[in-house]
Amino acid sequence: MRAEYDAIIVGMGSAGGIIAEQLTKAGAHVLALEKGPDYTQEDFMVKQDELRYYQRGAIVAGVNVDPVTWRPNESSTARVLPWSAGALGTDEPLYGLPSIGTGGGTLHWGCAAYRFREADFRMRSAIAERFGEAALPEGSSLADWPISYADLEPYYERVEQEQGLSGRAGNVGGVLQEGGNPFDPPRERDYPMPPVAQGPGDVPWVAATERLGLHPFRQPLAINSEEYRGRPACVNCGFCHGFPCHVKAKSTTQVTSVPAAKATGNLELRARSRVLRINRSPDGREVRGVTYVDALGETHDVFSNTVVLTAYALENVRLMLISGINANGQVGQHFMTHNFGWFTSVLPEVTNPFMGTFNASSAIDDYTSELVPDNDLGVLWGSPIISVTGDLQPIEAYHNMNPGVAKFGLEFKHWMRDKYRHMHRMYSQTTNFPYARHYADLDPVVKDRWGQPALRITHDWEDHDANSVTLMGRYKERIAKEMGATEYWMDSPRPPYHLSTHDVGVHRMGLDPATSVTNVHGEVHECRGLFAVGGGQFVSYGGYNPNQTVQALAYLSAEGLLASNGLRLASSTSMVA
Amino acid sequence: MMTGSTFHPDFALLFLNPREAATIDAIVGHIIPSEEGSPGAREAGVTEYIDRALSGFMRDLQPVYREGLAEFEAFAVETAGAPYLDLDGEQQLAVIAELDELSGARPDAFLGQFYRIVREHTVQGFFGDPAYGGNRDVVGWKLVGFPGAQWGYSPEQMRPGVDSSSIPILTVKDLYARIGSM
Repeated sequence: MRAEYDAIIVGMGSAGGIIAEQLTKAGAHVLALEKGPDYTQEDFMVKQDELRYYQRGAIVAGVNVDPVTWRPNESSTARVLPWSAGALGTDEPLYGLPSIGTGGGTLHWGCAAYRFREADFRMRSAIAERFGEAALPEGSSLADWPISYADLEPYYERVEQEQGLSGRAGNVGGVLQEGGNPFDPPRERDYPMPPVAQGPGDVPWVAATERLGLHPFRQPLAINSEEYRGRPACVNCGFCHGFPCHVKAKSTTQVTSVPAAKATGNLELRARSRVLRINRSPDGREVRGVTYVDALGETHDVFSNTVVLTAYALENVRLMLISGINANGQVGQHFMTHNFGWFTSVLPEVTNPFMGTFNASSAIDDYTSELVPDNDLGVLWGSPIISVTGDLQPIEAYHNMNPGVAKFGLEFKHWMRDKYRHMHRMYSQTTNFPYARHYADLDPVVKDRWGQPALRITHDWEDHDANSVTLMGRYKERIAKEMGATEYWMDSPRPPYHLSTHDVGVHRMGLDPATSVTNVHGEVHECRGLFAVGGGQFVSYGGYNPNQTVQALAYLSAEGLLASNGLRLASSTSMVA
Repeated sequence: MMTGSTFHPDFALLFLNPREAATIDAIVGHIIPSEEGSPGAREAGVTEYIDRALSGFMRDLQPVYREGLAEFEAFAVETAGAPYLDLDGEQQLAVIAELDELSGARPDAFLGQFYRIVREHTVQGFFGDPAYGGNRDVVGWKLVGFPGAQWGYSPEQMRPGVDSSSIPILTVKDLYARIGSM
């Protein structure tokens, strides 16, 4: 055990695992503090259990441990958001924080791995150019990113090669590829693996979208379709989104970067260790380490001149606010989260919706981002429409069933008997603009069991969010009709959830220290040596899943840390018994 | 008379008292009814699932169930004129239908919440793994054609049009047995 570390990383998840691998491979001595367990494969050998993982949220923290409160606006009182099956056991477990433990959110994720589009990085300018400045949403703090797609492209590439992605590229070096997405941004190389096995319900969806003149492509996934770097191919078990993987086919840092970091001998990983606060120099300008509490309730101070927060966007914010780091008032601002716009159909064909992974399917980008057609609803930025054909167990199907059908008696029983095996789903995460009225701060009343304030979210769905769901719903309805759906229904454009594991933007990156929290490498402007990395850095938020960009930013931050002015090596390298 | 009170559990009650268990068994039997040749929630052991869960994972809901069952009894007396277990099957179903309507019209009312909780737990006990005390003989999975805890599906099984009822159903226990033989 060292007295001082070259770096302390808080959270061994999606971004933290990658940074740990990069720093330890370069010879740095790293202490990793993870509030969940350090899982082994033994933990996940049999995980085909919908009650345990999906309904009871076995690998997420839960409302009793990690309360987050929510209110729609400043004139209402925030209440604790239910998750992990909810306070009364009736809510979706994944409308809450990501899973914890080694691998973090990448333990439970559905593995949809999208690069953002070129235009997504300059959303504000692109909207102003097309629709005029006056069209920008009133009160929005929408801005362009300080980096471009081209800046991030090499790091997207690293995620694909090092973490292991499957798919078919649409545009390699500017040349369109047969069978790929014709709207793809240019890339250097194809994915290292072909797409995973296609779910049976995706076949009619692809046929219908083609008949409509759309351009379906197989989704890029962080799941092995063949053996890759010592990990086997997916076996299509159908317990994926919300579940850990029993064969290591899913790309999670638990099986990619963390073992690689451990193998260097330079990583000291302390599991079940929850960081309580960040410690700084007396003038507050430099980081000195953190204080954490272990599983037995004992607190410890650990020291380093470099501390990297990779504990999820919201927990990064909570730690900074609890530690008094918010000189410019920007920490917690610009909260953005996805609205999923679920659309479910019953098809004439058997879809066997329990086979294969959630995303063993296709998507279209015909209406995504800047490609959104002119429309009467004022939607300025579009979304992909994604076909979901696998990973649907019976209890989740019951939660998704036709709201027009009785949920008791023979009508209910017969609907499940006759329709479950014919279900098909679509979703499109809608663009969520940042507003001054949507933010995260510390709850003045609710505390966790260690006496730390809970994070409070102030957020409500705006007209643009609801109109986006409605617009994309029209396109989905056309597809459903083309598929010959015998019945279909869609979510409310203003759904009841306000957390989704897709929460971003709350420690925005930027070049101006007055209007942002971190620089492009994740270093916090006001505190030298402190880094906050992940979705919290996002400046705007289109319709793609966030994680590949989270991981690309992790590689970018690691590179910044290893540059001469980044990582400040511990002054004392002597080992302490 | 006393149609529902003939409930004789074939398992040890861990939280509910016999009358509460009989009432729950009657309620869940109307949420997922039994038919000739097609078992419902009662045959699936949903009441055992709920009782076991309340003594363990869902212990925080013990007061909700106690209070909910008391209010449910009062509701039955008020709307149908007798305690729930004294009503015949048709009258019992009518009480559930009324409660379902109330739950939709006034989602925040406690009795409606309690109904939705019992309904959720009925679905869990009917479609969850048998290891939790419900879904006996995997009757829930047989009903809908879900093959259960499969290690994986082959590309052939994933082809369009495959009849999933031809795939032997497996449970978590079966998978542990399989690992043991590896």
